[in-house]
Amino acid sequence: MFLAIKELKYTKGKFALIISVIVLVSYLVYFLTSLAYGLASSYTNAVNKWDSDEIVITVDANDSIMMSFMTAADFDAVEVDGTKARLGLFPAVINDPDAENRLDSRVNVYFFGIDNDSFIKPKETSHLTLEGNQVIVDEELKKEGYEIGSMIGVSGTDMEFEIIGFSTKTTYQTAPVIFMAMSTWQTYRYNTQTPPDLFSGVIVRGLVDSVSDNLLTYKTGDYIATLPGYTAQVLTFSTMIIFLIIIVAFVLGIFIYVLTIQKTPMFGVMKAQGISNIYIAGSVVIQTFLLVLIGIIIGFILTVVSGIFLGDIIPFAVNTLFYGVITFAFFLFAFFGALFSVRAVLKIDPLKAIGG
Amino acid sequence: MKPLIEMINVSKDFLQGDVVISALKPTNFTAHEGELIGIIGPSGSGKSTFLTILGGLQKPTTGRVLINGNPFSELTNDEKSKIRLDQIGFILQASNLIPFLTVKEQMVLYNKITKTKANHEWMDELFEKLSVDKLKNKYPNALSGGERQRAAIAKALYHQPNVIFADEPTASLDTKKAFEVIKLLAKETKAQKKATIMVTHDERLLEFCDKVYVIVDGVLTLKNMSNKNQG
Repeated sequence: MFLAIKELKYTKGKFALIISVIVLVSYLVYFLTSLAYGLASSYTNAVNKWDSDEIVITVDANDSIMMSFMTAADFDAVEVDGTKARLGLFPAVINDPDAENRLDSRVNVYFFGIDNDSFIKPKETSHLTLEGNQVIVDEELKKEGYEIGSMIGVSGTDMEFEIIGFSTKTTYQTAPVIFMAMSTWQTYRYNTQTPPDLFSGVIVRGLVDSVSDNLLTYKTGDYIATLPGYTAQVLTFSTMIIFLIIIVAFVLGIFIYVLTIQKTPMFGVMKAQGISNIYIAGSVVIQTFLLVLIGIIIGFILTVVSGIFLGDIIPFAVNTLFYGVITFAFFLFAFFGALFSVRAVLKIDPLKAIGG
Repeated sequence: MKPLIEMINVSKDFLQGDVVISALKPTNFTAHEGELIGIIGPSGSGKSTFLTILGGLQKPTTGRVLINGNPFSELTNDEKSKIRLDQIGFILQASNLIPFLTVKEQMVLYNKITKTKANHEWMDELFEKLSVDKLKNKYPNALSGGERQRAAIAKALYHQPNVIFADEPTASLDTKKAFEVIKLLAKETKAQKKATIMVTHDERLLEFCDKVYVIVDGVLTLKNMSNKNQG
């Protein structure tokens, strides 16, 4: 510890360089993680909010809930150990009827048709009852200027809805969700005042015992993986993050190794003087850890600051578990990098320090 | 006088290809407390082999080395390291100061490694004796050659070893500085009852030694110091 810290202080310039590399990479990694998690969450927030175990849609829908049409008979045929709820799900484009230019106020959303007593209605709005043209909308729409009592127009129709409440963390495939009574949803979906009694899927809290042959049951997690682009996106981000951590381990490992090789004569003399391998190698490892520690602390602070300033513009979400895993990975890989140097230290022959 | 380091019938052979090279012929050697011993000899004569075996950095082919009457050459590398750390002080050519530690920190390093308390009184006494007290917060880079060697001597004496190995301690110094350094070394060897073994090319220094050995082709012989006055 003594040697490691003294050297850091004495050769500040050299170490500042390597710390700045670690800062940049750790900043990038933490930031990407927050972004990836934020993006993934905005895909799945509404689904996660159901707190469901399984989802049932028709076989014909080919994984796409929007193409699933279920009847009341199908609903009855879903036998569960737990509770079940009907869901109507369809995308829509809304606009603000009070806007000067209605085209400028277009927002892509998902309409969720639900039953008032259903567990998939957001908890924070449980005191509200959806009737007629009343809707509960995701709080993201507050940014567009909507408030309670505002009217929402639906592009391509002359329907208008009235906002009676806001829900939190209810986005689906990055778009805000608008909750409405099932009958209202059916009116929109089939664009007629006398729609058929069809809906999209059954959300199950508990386990499905049996369904009819035309239906298919998904674990909630498996269902999320079928969302268009979700798996590809998560995979892309995680690959980038893993590779960045490995790269920083290499950069750090090489840097420390070069420094160690430069110090070979000094270490030789130290060994001749009876200073043990453990002490010398330990001080190399401690030095590596100190560099990583300083670097990732600064990188993390930068991430937090960025999150505060950019949180409204980009889907930035904090996940302490992911941060913890990444921090651990940084230290683990940095340790592997330092092992090269430890090996080099062990191989230094004190004999060369004397006479020669 | 008490023997501090002894070589009993030590020899060292190297295998070079199929040829056995005898770097050190069977040698007996003893350094007693208060003795400053000079070792001279041409390059390749076996000086380094002699010193490295004495310091436990190489195993002898035959014979044994005792430090303070205790077996040394038979120990494991780790045990030898520990004994070097506690019982031997090294003064090497300039490079034995660690570049990123101040003169004072060079001493404190010993305490950090052995997890002991720094002896500041003794340190200050040493610094004063070696007139490095004004330099104690400077880094080796900021010191002149002579100052650096004096600091190295302070470092070698600080942990109160029994034996001091000095390898060309005056290599980078002019005559005046070299004499200053060697006188100091001789004085401290006497005052603190150490045995100091100095390898050198510089024949001017030999008049300060109590005994001088010559190594030629692996054979160590005591030099007749008939021209030496009373030291």
